Amino acid sequence: MTSGKKTKATRSSVAAARSSVVAKKPKPWGTIIAVIAVLALAGTVFGYAYAQISEKNQREAALAKWNPSEENKDPSDQIQGVVKKDYKAGKHVQPTQRVAYDQSPPFGGPHDGAWANCTGIVYPKAVRTENMVHALEHGAVWIAYNPDRISGEPLDKLKKKADGQQYTMLSPYPGLDKPIALQAWGHQLKVESADDERIDQFIQSLRRNQYTYPEIGAACDSNTFDIDNPPPFVVEAPGADAVPMDGGTEDQAETGNQPGVPSDAAPTTQPSS
Amino acid sequence: MSDTGQQRSVTTTRAVVVTVAVLAVLLLGAAVGLLIKLPGADSSATPGRDSVDVGFTQDMAVHHLQGITMANTARDKTADPAIRQLAFDIESTQLEQVGRMKGWLTLWGMPEQSVDGTHMKWMDSSSHHSSSTGGTTGLMPGMATSEELAKLRSLAGTEFDVYFLQLMLRHHQGGAPMAEYGAKHAGAPVVRTLAENMLKSQSSEGEYMKQLIAERGATPLP
Repeated sequence: MTSGKKTKATRSSVAAARSSVVAKKPKPWGTIIAVIAVLALAGTVFGYAYAQISEKNQREAALAKWNPSEENKDPSDQIQGVVKKDYKAGKHVQPTQRVAYDQSPPFGGPHDGAWANCTGIVYPKAVRTENMVHALEHGAVWIAYNPDRISGEPLDKLKKKADGQQYTMLSPYPGLDKPIALQAWGHQLKVESADDERIDQFIQSLRRNQYTYPEIGAACDSNTFDIDNPPPFVVEAPGADAVPMDGGTEDQAETGNQPGVPSDAAPTTQPSS
Repeated sequence: MSDTGQQRSVTTTRAVVVTVAVLAVLLLGAAVGLLIKLPGADSSATPGRDSVDVGFTQDMAVHHLQGITMANTARDKTADPAIRQLAFDIESTQLEQVGRMKGWLTLWGMPEQSVDGTHMKWMDSSSHHSSSTGGTTGLMPGMATSEELAKLRSLAGTEFDVYFLQLMLRHHQGGAPMAEYGAKHAGAPVVRTLAENMLKSQSSEGEYMKQLIAERGATPLP
């Protein structure tokens, strides 16, 4: 078969050569060039499209990895070192009360009725924890750092991640066992360095993640929390009278405001004691 | 001999040209296929006018707006920081949620509220309709009447605070079955997620309001 074909092909090419001589028909260069050009063009267009699409898909996959979605509700599951706990939302304590939190810094549990303003605030001084926890309930990420271990350039890096960034706040947390701790409601990640890539991953995964914070749409702006003079952090451990983790509203019927008397224990300025 | 040769050569050329043309068309087609996306091809289907998604979103937006009105009144009138804070929280949160819901309705090409003024049609089970303020006045469960709102505006001091809390508690409770139904039956995950979240956050806020009412020596509305 093969040899037959070959013979035929040879014959035909010879014949074609002859006939072209005889019929003065030149090789169809025009057709050949057109064919190659069309093929090259089509190949280039396809190659371009393919390259574009695969690059776009890669970029999207990289972003989608940390972007909460119906298929990927909690992207922080992919971040090494994140601690998760379930907390009941909506439990309030009075400005005069403290909560015996189970974590340091805490990332859920009962909290003050006034949420710390989280409209992209860098708090220069440590803030009362009970207010900070409430902001987590509103979808904020709280970046806490140990002031003895983070300062200068690393601190500037953290400030950039919080300053003016909605639903983000930064504050020192004296006695923190690691240089940096990130908190979102029910989530925490402690890292050694401000350059750790997991910081941005944590923020992207959990800040205002509709699947993980309890009060969708809640505000970071506040009308009862004084940004410029926030209630201060308390170094001493809470005493025996502190509200337990499963406490909150129900336990404080006795401590409520008197009817008709505007409470002088305004949540804005009253430090916990 | 030369004739057949010529014929063969023509046939070969034609075959090559056709093959290349087909190949080129396939490559271009594949490229076009990669580059274009049909409009709406990757977005989920738009819910229909009678869907739970549209009904819940329209009705809950209207329900929320009255809550925002009452909260605004309280924010302006109260002297109690706890009430002022609660009012601000309710107002800002619900306004944000209304923004979400109206955004969806706009994207779906649906009106912001039910066109014929009826509510709750999207909830089939009649058990959810049971409310004194339901059918007759056209108000959804938990909503305050115009008279009640006028009364609220006329009060002052602790009386105002208590009545605000009572109305707002009933408002939250009245909206709960809608949120519950939406969380179970809406088609779009984003609607279900918001409805479920409302149900949870408003029920804990309701507990807080019950306590505030008790602290002021009052009881919830019957």
